[in-house]
Amino acid sequence: MTMRVLTSIFVLAALCIAPAAVGAHAFLDHADPAVGSSVPTSPSVLHLWFTQELEPAFSWATVSDRSGATVNDGAATIDPGNKSELDIKLKQLPPGTYTVKWHALSVDTHTTEGDFTFHVGKG
Amino acid sequence: MSRLIAALVAALAFPPFIFMMSSAAQAHVVCGNRVFPTTLTMDDPGVSDEMSLPTINLTPTPTAQSNSYGYEWDKTITEDLGFGINGGYLTQRSPSQNLNGWDNITVTLKDQHPCFNRHPHEELVFSVGLVRLIPGTGSTRLRTAGVIDDVGSTSPTFYFGKGFGDLSAPYLRPFAITGELSRDFSDTPTANPSAWSYAVSLQYSMPYLQQSVQAQHIPQFLTRMTPLVEIAMTSSDAGGPPTGTISPGILYDANTWQLGAEAVIPANSATRQGQGTGFIIQYHQFLDTFYKSWFGRPIIKKNLWGS
Repeated sequence: MTMRVLTSIFVLAALCIAPAAVGAHAFLDHADPAVGSSVPTSPSVLHLWFTQELEPAFSWATVSDRSGATVNDGAATIDPGNKSELDIKLKQLPPGTYTVKWHALSVDTHTTEGDFTFHVGKG
Repeated sequence: MSRLIAALVAALAFPPFIFMMSSAAQAHVVCGNRVFPTTLTMDDPGVSDEMSLPTINLTPTPTAQSNSYGYEWDKTITEDLGFGINGGYLTQRSPSQNLNGWDNITVTLKDQHPCFNRHPHEELVFSVGLVRLIPGTGSTRLRTAGVIDDVGSTSPTFYFGKGFGDLSAPYLRPFAITGELSRDFSDTPTANPSAWSYAVSLQYSMPYLQQSVQAQHIPQFLTRMTPLVEIAMTSSDAGGPPTGTISPGILYDANTWQLGAEAVIPANSATRQGQGTGFIIQYHQFLDTFYKSWFGRPIIKKNLWGS
């Protein structure tokens, strides 16, 4: 009897949990320019791909130089064809190190945030 | 027994395959860039909606093979206050006798202070909790045989986590430590002495390296892994050397679940007298994926710290 109960608990838990899972926190999956990378010339757009779809009104990103001055050209936008992608147009960037800060609200209503740097010019 | 094994295999194998299409790493206690994953032999430093089912612990002893098939369910009451319940089914095989039955139930009430980020990448979090082992909730046969406690205990516990994202050396930033310290007050100290329990884990987060420091051109499954070592010790008021284990292993984090496996090595000769090197594996489900239901979010959407 005990075995039967135990078996049922494990199997039901596995089967019930799996199909109902529908979302999760949004974390950075990858970026272009890549996290910590060096690119030879100024990119025109920074792309951020997240692990979940984002709520556009509450998800943003900024890019700043060493002095803290913002170098993005306008606000970040969600790619209409891929709601897990956040794009930020950039001004012409002189050689240097730039910091990307992002804030994401995923469809599960959890907020996440993070930052990373990339370098323009010879590395 | 074969049905039990089949069920465990199903529980372990099925959900990971279902979720395999999800990508990148995440888990549960989040503090800025830092995600503290769920550890196997000690508790993590925060509260969340999650379930560990099963946690399989295989432990050889000098006279028997002891296995446990554990469960744990953690539920948030408010955003910072959580309740947990855990236990397991135990089997003990020896030439002289075979024993099996349910372990006692343990309940936990834990409150997490909002994470500290007083300077960039401070990544400091702590929680306080009260853990109650409820005597008499397990198998009578196991209790009579002395396999499980017949005396309850209450343990005020302090938990912490610190990520090292504020270090200057980039490749050291993925390191983090978590720990817990508790005083286990026995209901009947003369029968079962009170004790101090302490544990620490050292982790190297490949997801942190990938997302916050330097993206690596390596297979994606490697970017989801966190190698770690956990050390968990107990020092009884009865005297004698402390006993405990050192558990090196790997955690694999996906969007909605985590799989962990560790060797469980006796930390000293006193521990080796009671057990050999064992193994622990755990499937962990993050229940806040059920964000639209009571099951996956706080019952009361409020933070007692007012943040």
